[in-house]
Amino acid sequence: MQQAVGAGPGSSTRMRCLYMFNRQGVCVHYHVWLRPLNALSRQEDQKLMFGLLFSLKSFTAKMDPVGGSKGQLGAAQLQGQGCSFHSFRTNTYKLSFMETPTGMKIVLVTDQKMGDLREALKHIYSNIYVEYVVKNPLYTPEMPFKCELFNLNLDNYVKNLT
Amino acid sequence: MAREVAESCIDSVNLELVHTYCMRLHPTKPELAARRIEAIGFQVGLQLAERYTKERPRFADHLEAIKFICKDFWAEVFKKQIDNLKTNHRGVFVLQDNRFRWLTRVSLDAPTTSNGSASGESTQATSARASQAAGQYLYFPCGLIRGALTNFGVACAVSAEVSTLPACSFIVRIKV
Repeated sequence: MQQAVGAGPGSSTRMRCLYMFNRQGVCVHYHVWLRPLNALSRQEDQKLMFGLLFSLKSFTAKMDPVGGSKGQLGAAQLQGQGCSFHSFRTNTYKLSFMETPTGMKIVLVTDQKMGDLREALKHIYSNIYVEYVVKNPLYTPEMPFKCELFNLNLDNYVKNLT
Repeated sequence: MAREVAESCIDSVNLELVHTYCMRLHPTKPELAARRIEAIGFQVGLQLAERYTKERPRFADHLEAIKFICKDFWAEVFKKQIDNLKTNHRGVFVLQDNRFRWLTRVSLDAPTTSNGSASGESTQATSARASQAAGQYLYFPCGLIRGALTNFGVACAVSAEVSTLPACSFIVRIKV
């Protein structure tokens, strides 16, 4: 079944979609702005994404020519420690990735001309996710969420990304 | 030199207070949980009232005490003043805060709208869900107000209502 999701009229967003995974691999949030083509069902798509991230992280760690310690496979890393990829680009889109010390993985898919989004991802995590989801009394940790305040602030923030 | 504490600690303690009392200790007795949390707030309100009125003279009447709560007390505890104060001059006061600090991060799950059906819930339904969910987090501030007023010599009962997040109002009924 194909769902075509289009951006609103007049919006200049270059975002395509956002995934957030928790430590166990459950997709706790999926936000879509513009995604005309959906090849897989929602669950398969998310499982595929998580599997890809896991494999890419372990691949980049193993192939590191200068890195010292090869940490435990699957363990969360501090920012900047160890070797982990942060983005890949194809001819139609760019995928940016960040893993937090608590094991949350944030994936942002944008158009291919987007610049480096590492600072943006850090901002999304600490100023939007932590503020409006973690501190929300009505949220049980590690569960999928759909908080309105999170969605609102996320939309406002990504409008201005270059 | 004043000692400082991160505000997220207070937010987390309040959150956990409600979860523990309402969900773990007394899941089947919500009124008991409410009274317990309100009693904790009462103690805190008593002590804070002492602290914040160290250099002030006594209050002339009930209205002065309520105005102190709305302005100085609220500004000390929540960094802003009460936005609206209404009274019926018969001992009932309504304190309205349009952006209550502890409710600014509370947000409900966005309702899932299916294509083609009526868009969104009516405002009545969302406000009913909001007041149900957020009401528990207002037991402590109610106790806070009651404790402070009791220490000023004003016996009262305080209850709270949430209409639209993050606005809420506290209703103070003075006992004569």
